Amino acid sequence: MSTLAIVGTVKGGFLLRSDDRRHWDVEGPLFKGWKVTAAERTAAGDYLVATASDVYGPSLHRSRDLSQWQQVEGSPAYAEGSDRKLNQVWRLFTAGDTFYAGVDEAGLFRSVDGGETWQPVTALNDHRTREAWFPGAGGLCAHGLLVDPQNPQRIWCGISAVGVFRSDDGGDTWHAKNDGVQVIIEDEKHKDIGFCVHGLVADPDDANRIWRQDHTGMYRTYDGGEQWERIESGLSSRFGFPIAIDPKTLALFAVPLESDEYRSPVDGSLAVYRSTDHGDSWQRTQEGLPQQHFYAGVLRAALATDAQDPCGVYFGTTSGTVHVSANAGESWDTLPVTLPRVLSVSVFDE
Amino acid sequence: MPRVTIQLPSVLTAIVGDIREVVVEGDSVSGCLEALFVVHPELRLHVFDESGSFRQHVLCFHNDTNTRWTDGMQQETQDGDVITLMQAVSGG
Repeated sequence: MSTLAIVGTVKGGFLLRSDDRRHWDVEGPLFKGWKVTAAERTAAGDYLVATASDVYGPSLHRSRDLSQWQQVEGSPAYAEGSDRKLNQVWRLFTAGDTFYAGVDEAGLFRSVDGGETWQPVTALNDHRTREAWFPGAGGLCAHGLLVDPQNPQRIWCGISAVGVFRSDDGGDTWHAKNDGVQVIIEDEKHKDIGFCVHGLVADPDDANRIWRQDHTGMYRTYDGGEQWERIESGLSSRFGFPIAIDPKTLALFAVPLESDEYRSPVDGSLAVYRSTDHGDSWQRTQEGLPQQHFYAGVLRAALATDAQDPCGVYFGTTSGTVHVSANAGESWDTLPVTLPRVLSVSVFDE
Repeated sequence: MPRVTIQLPSVLTAIVGDIREVVVEGDSVSGCLEALFVVHPELRLHVFDESGSFRQHVLCFHNDTNTRWTDGMQQETQDGDVITLMQAVSGG
């Protein structure tokens, strides 16, 4: 089996390919000069990549061969005349034949035609609490997306500085699900928002089991978000952005950073923390990672896993380094590249 | 109808197959841009924002004149005119 990693940076995308997850060929940049913020593969085998530019805005591009790309004419967009601006697609998520895109300014879009056209999920985008949604340091972004594989009517969406919302009816209604999570920006009127989710993953066989890297710490829920509990035993810091899961063993991976003030590895020592007991405890993995003078962060979309055995774990940093573990975090390789600031890492088994 | 050349910034050329210039027919700046969007509809969202105005950092020159300094989009065009779309560069 070969592995493809699409590494999105602020100045283009890079393709990393390997047959053994040890030796990598690097191609790129794709979309030179554009931010590459997310990537996903359709059920038909096409790749969708989200790009953005501070000057020219965001769009989606489609390719079958990762060589010839065509911009999707019906890319997610707020209606002309809207007072909202679509600045960036933060996340592409496929659930069967349905695609979801989480965007900044915060909103959710859905495609039922393989990503050709997109419709806003208005019940979330115009939620009764919308008047109190305010951007965090990373913007006002909807980025955390989960769909119950057994019941696609159940959808979770995480929005930074707002919280996690769940729909049980295919997106027609949404309810904030943050009980047990420490509030970070309490609103005077809407007490059910003000929670700053950074990353979400779920058990692929039981969507009620969700893990959450939040601004205020690490949490889990076993009831779909009705109640969250802290799970931080062993972590070097409760702050961080991404969280990833091995879909086979359910091992969890996170990259703690030193507080929201500093946002860099604790003591300049880069480490990935792994939990093999569903978050009850966390163990540090560091073999092969820089252990001193490393002060780059890892952004929310820049950590990914594959579905191989043992699980591959991949992440890129804000200083453009890329790190790969072919053995579920036991040891790490640092790839011989220095890319621009890494925004996203998406991994596909081929 | 006047034939007008529209020059694209290099970052946008990748979107339309590495084409740097497009010749269109139109009797105003607005008409020429609309003609451009007929040929390359994917460019519209990169030039205009949700308000229908130029994106904040996109400049549009009609020959040597910044259209923001004049009556801009309604300015009449002549055969051989050049419209240049470019990125506003500021800071360093």
